[in-house]
Amino acid sequence: MIKRLLAAGAMVLGLSAFAQTQIEFWTYYLSPNFDNYIKSTIADFEKANPIIKVKWVDKQDTMERDLTASIALGKAPDVVNLWQDSTFAGAQNGILLPITQVVSRSVLDQLYYPNVLDIFNVEGQVYGLPWYGWLDQGVMMYNPDLFAKAGVDVKSIKNTDDLLAVSEKIKKATGAYGWLPAVKDPNGASFLGRFFLEGLSIYDKDGKANFNSAAHVALLQKYVDAMKNDVIPQELLRKEAFQLSNELYSQGKSAIIVGAPTSLNRVKESNPDLYKKTKIASAPLGKAGIQTGGAMDLVIPKASKNQAAAARFALFVTNRANQVKFANVVPIVSTAKGSESDPGLKAKSDDPLEVGKGMNSSSGRLINPGFKPPKNTDDIYKNFNDNIEAAFLGKKSAKQALDDAVAFWNANAK
Amino acid sequence: MRRQAWTTTLVAYAFLAPALVLMGLFTFYPVLYGAYLGFTQYTAANLGSGEPPRWVGGQNFALVLRDPLFQTGILNSLKYLVVVPILQIASLAVAVLVNQKLPFMAFFRAGYYIPVITSISLAAVMWEWIFQKDGFLNWSLRLIGFFNQGGQFNWLLNEHTALWVIMLVTFWRGFGYYMVLYLAGLQAIPGELEEAATLDGASPWQRFWRIIVPLMRPTILLCSLLSTIAAIRVLEEILVFTGGTGGPLNSTYTALLYVYNKSLGLDFNYGVASAAGLLIALVGFGLSYLNFRITREDRGER
Repeated sequence: MIKRLLAAGAMVLGLSAFAQTQIEFWTYYLSPNFDNYIKSTIADFEKANPIIKVKWVDKQDTMERDLTASIALGKAPDVVNLWQDSTFAGAQNGILLPITQVVSRSVLDQLYYPNVLDIFNVEGQVYGLPWYGWLDQGVMMYNPDLFAKAGVDVKSIKNTDDLLAVSEKIKKATGAYGWLPAVKDPNGASFLGRFFLEGLSIYDKDGKANFNSAAHVALLQKYVDAMKNDVIPQELLRKEAFQLSNELYSQGKSAIIVGAPTSLNRVKESNPDLYKKTKIASAPLGKAGIQTGGAMDLVIPKASKNQAAAARFALFVTNRANQVKFANVVPIVSTAKGSESDPGLKAKSDDPLEVGKGMNSSSGRLINPGFKPPKNTDDIYKNFNDNIEAAFLGKKSAKQALDDAVAFWNANAK
Repeated sequence: MRRQAWTTTLVAYAFLAPALVLMGLFTFYPVLYGAYLGFTQYTAANLGSGEPPRWVGGQNFALVLRDPLFQTGILNSLKYLVVVPILQIASLAVAVLVNQKLPFMAFFRAGYYIPVITSISLAAVMWEWIFQKDGFLNWSLRLIGFFNQGGQFNWLLNEHTALWVIMLVTFWRGFGYYMVLYLAGLQAIPGELEEAATLDGASPWQRFWRIIVPLMRPTILLCSLLSTIAAIRVLEEILVFTGGTGGPLNSTYTALLYVYNKSLGLDFNYGVASAAGLLIALVGFGLSYLNFRITREDRGER
C-alpha cells in the first residue's frame, strides 16, 4: 500500500517536472541584428508563463527546406515565422494547422487588421498570426542635391508615371538614375505587381489569366522603352530592385528609393553624409491608388506536439505592445489593430529615419496584399519572368511576351 | 594454408569494416534511395500527409526529358565542358613553371592557390565589379580603344556572353586546385629523366610533350575527370551571378539548377528532381567513360 502511494507520489512529481513544456521557435533572418529584441520578448513571455520554455532558432535561406525536413524527421518546430507564399504552399501541402483551431476567429478579428489577416487566408481558413509587415511603396526617399541639379520639384511627383518622367529628367541632367522599379525580381513576379498597382487585372473571376489587353501591353512597353533609353538600368533584370536601389543610391548614382524606410539603415552605414541630407516624402502610387505590401506571420505546424503552448507564445509575440516595441527597434509596419493611433509609433525627432518610421509603422491598415498567387506558382512565375525578360531584352514584342505568358498560365494553373 | 588465407581475408575485412559501414550509411544508401525516389511521386504534400513515396515508374523521366527547361539545362551544362581542356592545359603549364627552382616560387604557388580558398560570395562581388556595365572590363576596353567613349557592354546580361563570363570565374577558381595536383605529380617525376633528355639536346618544348605529359598521364586523367564532373554539375556560380534565375533568357540555366529549383522551395518535388539528377549522373558516367577511353587508346599507340 505504502509502496503504491509512493509510486503515485513519484508519478505526480514526475508529471509536474514534465509539465515544463519546451517549444521551438523559428524566425527568418532576424539574428544577429535583432537578438536583443527577440531574446527580451522571449524572456518577458517566460516570466509570464513559467511552465513554458522557448528555444529560439533563427533560420536563414534554408528555412523552407529545413521546415519540411524537420517535419519529415518528426522533430517539427512549434512556432515558425513564414510569409504569404510559404504559408500558402505549406497550407496547400497540408503541413500547417489552421490557426482558428487554437484561436477563435472573433479573437483574431479583435487583435489584427482585417486586411492583413486576409493575407494568410487560404481557401477560407486563416493559417498564420500576422506579425511584422511592410509596405512595398512605403515612403519616397530622395537625394535633394540631384533633384536640385535636375530642376525637379518633389511636389510634382504624384504617381508612378511622374516618377518615370522625373527619372528621365534626372538621368539626362545628372547621369544618375532616378527611380529603380522592380521589373523582374528573382523571387515572385514583379511585373504582375506593377499591373496590379496600375489598376489592371491579372485574372478574371474564374482564375483565367487576362493580363494581355492593350492597356497591359502599353504599360509593359513604357518600361521596356525606359530600359532601352537607359532611364532605368538593365541590371534590374539580374538583381533585386531593392538591393540595386540601395547600392546605387548610397553611391550617389541614383536619386530615389521608394520602399520601406529601413533601406536608410544601409545608407546610414555606407554614406552617413548622404543619409543626413536625405529627404522623405510620401510614396507616389500607381493608378489604382493602393499601397501593396505584406506581412510575416507565425504559423504552427500540424506536427507540433505543443500546439496550445505554441499558440499562446505566437499570440504574445504578435500582440500590439510587442509589435510597437519591435517597430521602435526597426521600422516595421505593425499589423496589430489600433496601431494607427498608438503613441509608441509617433516620430520623436526630424531625423529622416524617425520621420519615415512614423509615417510607415502605423500604416498597417493600408497594407493591400495584392492578388492571390496561382497554384503551380513556381513554374508559372518562372515562365512569366522569362517572357518579361525577353521583352526587355528585345527578343519578343511586349504583346508577344504577354500573350505567351497568359497562354502558359492558363495551360498550367491547375 | 587455405585456412590461413581465410583468416587473412577476415582480418582485412575487419579493418575495412568501419569505413565500409560509414560509406554504406552516408554514400551508398543515400545514392540508392535517391535513385529510387526518381521513380516515385514524392512532394511536400507527401510529407504533410505522412504518405510514403508512390511508385510511378518512368513517368518522372518522361516529364523531365520533355521539359524544355531541362533540355536547355543539359545543353548549357555540356557547353560548360569547354572549360575543362582549357583549365587542364593552363594549370599543367603553370605547374611546370612554378616547379622551377627560382626565387619567389613559393609566393607564386600560394598566389595561384588563393582563388581556391576564396569563398564564392566574395568572388562574386569582385567579379561583378569587373563585369558590370561601368566595371573594370568595359573601362579597360575603352582605354585600349575597343569601345568609343561611353560605349559599354553588359557582359552578364547578354545571352551570348553570360555563360562564358561565368565560365571564366570557374576557371579562375579551379586553376589553383589543379595546379597543386599537377605540382605533386611533377615532383614525383625523377629528375634524371629530364636531365638525360637535356643532355640529348631536347628543347624545353620537346621535354614537356615527350617526358612530362606522358609521365603525368594518370594525374591528367584524374584532374580531367574531376573537372569534367565539376563542370557538368556547376551550380554555385550560376546562383550567385544570376540571382538563381539562370538568365538572361535562360542562357545560363544549367542542368543542376533545374534539379535545385525542382527540389527546393516548399514545392519539394523530390521525385522529379531525383529523376533529373539521375539523368545528369548518367551523362557524367558517359563522360567519365570517354575520359578513360581517350587515355587508354593513347597508351596503346605507344
